[in-house]
Amino acid sequence: MTAAVLPDVLVTSRRAGLFTTAHQLIRKPAFLIAVVYVLFVIVSAFAPTLFTSWEPYDTYPEQAMLPPGADHLFGTDVYGRDLWTRVLYGSPLTIKATLLALTIAAIAGLTIGIVSGFFGGRLDAILMRIVDVLLAIPGLLLALSIVTALGYGTLPVAVAVGIGIVPGFARTTRAEVLRVKTLPYVEAARAGGASWTRVLLRHILPNSWGPVAVLTVLDAGVAILAIASLSFLGFGAAPPAAEWGTLISDGRNYLVTSWWLSLLPGLFVAILVLSLNHISKTLQELTR
Amino acid sequence: MSVSRFLRPIAVAVTASLALAACGGGEETSAASGTPKAGGTVKVSFWPDNPNFSCIDPFQVYWIEHRSIIRNFADSLTDQDPETGKIVPWLASKWEISPDGLTYTFTLRDGVTFSNGKKVDAQAVADNVTGWIETVKATNGAAFGASYIQGLTGATVVDPLTVKLTLSKPNSSFLQATSTTNLAITDPAEFALPAAERCTGKGVIGSGLFVLDHYTPKTETVLTKRAGYSWGSELSENKGEARLDKVIFNYVAEDSVRTGNLTSGAIDVAWPRNPFSPQDETLIEKSGKKIEERSLPGVSYTLFANTTAGRPLADKQVRLALSKALDRATYAKTIYGDGYPVVKGAYNSTTPYFKSQESKLGYDPDGAAELLDAAGWTLGADGIRVKDGKQLTVDYPLTSFVGNAELLQAQAKKVGINLTLRQLTPAQQATYLNEGSYDLTSTYFTRADPGALQFILNPDVANSKALARQSSTPDAVVKVQDLFAKALQTTDQKQTTTAYEDLQDFLIDEGITIPLNERVQKVGLSEKVHGFAFTSESFLKLNDVWKD
Repeated sequence: MTAAVLPDVLVTSRRAGLFTTAHQLIRKPAFLIAVVYVLFVIVSAFAPTLFTSWEPYDTYPEQAMLPPGADHLFGTDVYGRDLWTRVLYGSPLTIKATLLALTIAAIAGLTIGIVSGFFGGRLDAILMRIVDVLLAIPGLLLALSIVTALGYGTLPVAVAVGIGIVPGFARTTRAEVLRVKTLPYVEAARAGGASWTRVLLRHILPNSWGPVAVLTVLDAGVAILAIASLSFLGFGAAPPAAEWGTLISDGRNYLVTSWWLSLLPGLFVAILVLSLNHISKTLQELTR
Repeated sequence: MSVSRFLRPIAVAVTASLALAACGGGEETSAASGTPKAGGTVKVSFWPDNPNFSCIDPFQVYWIEHRSIIRNFADSLTDQDPETGKIVPWLASKWEISPDGLTYTFTLRDGVTFSNGKKVDAQAVADNVTGWIETVKATNGAAFGASYIQGLTGATVVDPLTVKLTLSKPNSSFLQATSTTNLAITDPAEFALPAAERCTGKGVIGSGLFVLDHYTPKTETVLTKRAGYSWGSELSENKGEARLDKVIFNYVAEDSVRTGNLTSGAIDVAWPRNPFSPQDETLIEKSGKKIEERSLPGVSYTLFANTTAGRPLADKQVRLALSKALDRATYAKTIYGDGYPVVKGAYNSTTPYFKSQESKLGYDPDGAAELLDAAGWTLGADGIRVKDGKQLTVDYPLTSFVGNAELLQAQAKKVGINLTLRQLTPAQQATYLNEGSYDLTSTYFTRADPGALQFILNPDVANSKALARQSSTPDAVVKVQDLFAKALQTTDQKQTTTAYEDLQDFLIDEGITIPLNERVQKVGLSEKVHGFAFTSESFLKLNDVWKD
């Protein structure tokens, strides 16, 4: 068998693999619903006018506190603003914050994990003890202290949440690197004369980020919840812009009389997090 | 003094006699609904304790809730009728004011003692006066009582029950001041302690019908009954011992939790700082509880601009435009419900010498637009006004005292003012006024006398000197001080009235105070609590209160 044939075989088997995977996924309706919902949230975040004709910041005191109905899908808040619109316009803020947090966590986590796992020794010990310390502090508490130091707003919240979930990424990556490092192809590459950098970037990194990718999707839910918690506590974007947590928080004084003010934005977020969890669980099953 | 009262529909459970009593004056009580019982503990929930200055020492406290507590463990020389504003005897059985207004001679009631057994005599009162003056010096004028004792130079004992207080210049609001909690008479031994230590309640001993058991900042304050009390003022039905054994005041941050505690019966009195939301009122009434309310006398909930040169609100026209842009009637209705009074001036309507400025505070977006156009702020493409390439942005930092700013923001936006809301961290909240890093801030102050505003605007006695200096231009500060001097430093009632009326006109005309809403003290009461009453400052008065 010549070397030229090998890629072809590989490509065909990959295509076949993808095909079976896609076929498997289509047969999971819950997965499909989850994907559709996540897509809807993303699309509506960046083109909210497709789904609502109200303005998020215009107040109409004469129609305050209306219950959910045809005109106002989620009802109206204390100033008569359409809550559905507020939720949709709140999406980009939360999504941006989530993406930023995940990017920070993924980049920092991957770097720390690979460096630690690959080089081992003292560097590994030091980095992992730092990660241990970060893991020992409850995530929300850590995020709270970071936000208090940085100031309020979407960006500080994203940074705080991002730093809070770095340790998990670092640990997962490190474990993968330790596993991949001992595999024969790494040895072969080294024996073939590849430099450490090349081995690291071409062989170890691509082969160890699979679980990290799943973790990213899984942690998207965690990040959304953490961001919502922080904005619930009033650390989020300046009013009148409202992240989801702020909307939930704004309604908390009316739980008994106007339950929809907190419940509906809360459900919106809960379903999104559930969907993301379901997607990542499904992907995890498939990779096994 | 007129007391405006608004009676909301009261749930069926409340008897007709009760409703009638509630309709009446602030002094009438609901004791008619049964024979008063002795004993029992009443639990009262306030909103959170003062984050910057936790204090229970009468002379230093400005926190409304704590003044309510103080009213019930420390008595004053005089009392003030909430209905008429008249000053009546209390610890002093009579008094005499010299024609020049510089000497106040109080004759004390005999047989009054502090809760530690010491006598409330002329010497004790004189020592209190000395203590107050020293506290003002020690705190560099920041002690809240400073604005009450302007001109007071000392006191001399004439005989064991007669004390003469001397002033260097007349102070027309001094007699009213002697009725307030801030000039309550306490055991003068406390003044030997540093001001900060007294704040914790250490050494604070009054002659009231309750004794301060303990004060745990931000957690609770507990009062216990004082045995042998028999010197209530004529304004209380019950002049003797308290009917309750114990009163527990705690601090609940969440409005909904406080209301829920009341409706579920976990507490007896919900005493929020800001009026209940209409939704909460419905909830309280549905659960068979009552709501009592009275406008708080003093400064209304007011916006104060930063008039430092270079700031957008340094321009009087912009301030006036902002005032015209506010739809106060809609604001009151949206946030506090139908029937909530609309603010009519720098003071709440229950304040003596109140002069309505209603005609100047109407909603007039066109007028606001004209003023802004004339001031050079032209409407930009995005609806925000622009001048010399700069947007008309007004920075309104959010503290724990600011609520419902988003409605304000929406109203300002309609005339092209970009009101930006910036949430402050607790650390920033303590410093932003001193740094001057704001364009607009809001505050209020409670006292049944127009002198209340001095505590905000007169740099000499203000709580925040920075706020006082920044709220009006140096010329205006002088003018305001001048008008206060005219009103206070006289024995001529007419001059006082004129000066206070001029002051109220001036403040609104110059856009120094931009009133936002009238402040009404609303109180949610369990059906088990009877005999509830407000003092003249709309504080809690427990003399007649009893519990089923």
